[in-house]
Amino acid sequence: MPALLSKSLRDYRWTLIGWTIGISAFFGLYLSIYPSIVRNPEVYGPAALAKFPGAMRDLMGGMSDFTSGVGFLQTVVYQLIGPMLLISCATILGNRAIAQPEEDGTLELTLTLPVDRRRLLLARFAGLVLGLLVIAAITFLLVWGLAAAGGMEVAGSRILAGHTGVFLLALCCGTLGLAVGAATGRKMYASAVVGVVALGGYVVETIGRSVDAISWLGWISPFHYYLDGQPIQQGFPVVDYLVLLTATAVLALTAVLAFDRRDVGV
Amino acid sequence: MRCMTAVVETEGLTKFYGDRRGLEDLDLEIRLGEVFGYLGPNGAGKTTTIRLLLDVIRPTRGRMTVLGVDPRDARVRGRIGYLPGELALAGREKASEYLSFLAAARGGVPRERIAELADRLDADLSVRMGKLSKGNKQKIGLIQAFMHEPEFLILDEPTSGLDPLLQQEFLAMVREVRTAGRTVLMSSHVLAEVEHASDRVGIVRDGRLVAVEDVAALREKAVRKVEFHFDAPVPREEFEGLPGVRELRVEGASVRCTIDGRPDALIKAAARHTVVHMVSAEPDLEEIFLTYYGDEETRHARAAVEEPA
Repeated sequence: MPALLSKSLRDYRWTLIGWTIGISAFFGLYLSIYPSIVRNPEVYGPAALAKFPGAMRDLMGGMSDFTSGVGFLQTVVYQLIGPMLLISCATILGNRAIAQPEEDGTLELTLTLPVDRRRLLLARFAGLVLGLLVIAAITFLLVWGLAAAGGMEVAGSRILAGHTGVFLLALCCGTLGLAVGAATGRKMYASAVVGVVALGGYVVETIGRSVDAISWLGWISPFHYYLDGQPIQQGFPVVDYLVLLTATAVLALTAVLAFDRRDVGV
Repeated sequence: MRCMTAVVETEGLTKFYGDRRGLEDLDLEIRLGEVFGYLGPNGAGKTTTIRLLLDVIRPTRGRMTVLGVDPRDARVRGRIGYLPGELALAGREKASEYLSFLAAARGGVPRERIAELADRLDADLSVRMGKLSKGNKQKIGLIQAFMHEPEFLILDEPTSGLDPLLQQEFLAMVREVRTAGRTVLMSSHVLAEVEHASDRVGIVRDGRLVAVEDVAALREKAVRKVEFHFDAPVPREEFEGLPGVRELRVEGASVRCTIDGRPDALIKAAARHTVVHMVSAEPDLEEIFLTYYGDEETRHARAAVEEPA
């Protein structure tokens, strides 16, 4: 493995381990309550959920059938919490690529190595992709195993479709953070931009659908290209996922160009 | 002046950070095989110059070559060793792991070479980077700068944080590099730190290069305090009006004066009598700068230099 890439992965190592444990614990805890929910349809069934305000249900992705395996998995893992957890982790990794080492001063010595800046940035990006892939793979196996054990009756291919979407969405947001960090050298700007895009994007894609004033913003929300195709219910939305991949590639390229042009550490 | 053997050549090199001047119109030449002392108070533009040479920041205008090529070419940094002025080392990695990474990114350095330098500087490589003391950090910084035996060493405030014993070891390492025919740029805000190791000294102040001087020539121009003691009283007239002699005091069998430049005439005058004892103080280059560039600006620079960092 090239020195720069293995160094990137070592820099990300503790973040990766921590978040893998955290996300796994969270998923494990919530998915293990499914059997008790199925046994209490009067509390969690469609009739009970209908009492929630419409906007609230929109925000949670409809919450139409909490007692079916597909509905439960969608609401608990794949609607909001799973994506947000992975996006947060991706943002931290994206910051670790350039902005954090620049702020703590360690980037200067790395830049004085006989390595082209563009190659350095691509190695940090590759570390982000691989790191997120590891988290996504481990958490996928966990969800898949718990879904099977809890009798949710959701096909493994649908879970894979949903998890792939979460991975692509998080990667896109993480790359956005990396690009802002590469262009400005400031963690705060990167985190703020990702926060606005992710939270704003989610609200636009859920509640915003029924609000004419902002519904047209849907196409710009990264969540649109994950949630709109309903991967857990419908399988891989190939075109939507390609949009997320293309956006990621464009952001990575922007990061390379911006980083190559500017003064570092001033 | 163009020179075939220039390791660094800049022409009108200028860097502004927004409206703030970092460096203006720097014309600098560092010759092959010399140790160049780059001197100035903090914030004068030393680090700005160094970071421009390493392509960490880009010039506002002007041109430069390092080892004959544009610093934008990343490959040239393979021939340079660099010690940052504010070396930041952080994280859970062990110092040895970090050095291995830097070595690998530089295309490989023999393990024994790193071990040898660590031994020489008495550095503990098993410590985690975030837990290194100031002195140990500087040792790691020196190891990574010297380990690949670069043609050109750029050392920003190299002796800060080193105890006196290690300063001596460091200066010995610099002399070895010079003996091997390689080139060193060494910055400092204290002249005493670089004068013994440097061939030439450049003084930067307020973003401008104020002077470049040959250290040997400076010593020749030095103001020295000299004392002669004779076996019998000597006549004052014989020592009056000698070239360079000032503040002459003749008291019985002893002569005290300061001598500016070569002491030849004074020695010959003294040799006419029997000299029983002679004292000549090592010239203080700091003094020389004051007399040689005895204008307001240098005095100002010196005052700033003397402030602790």
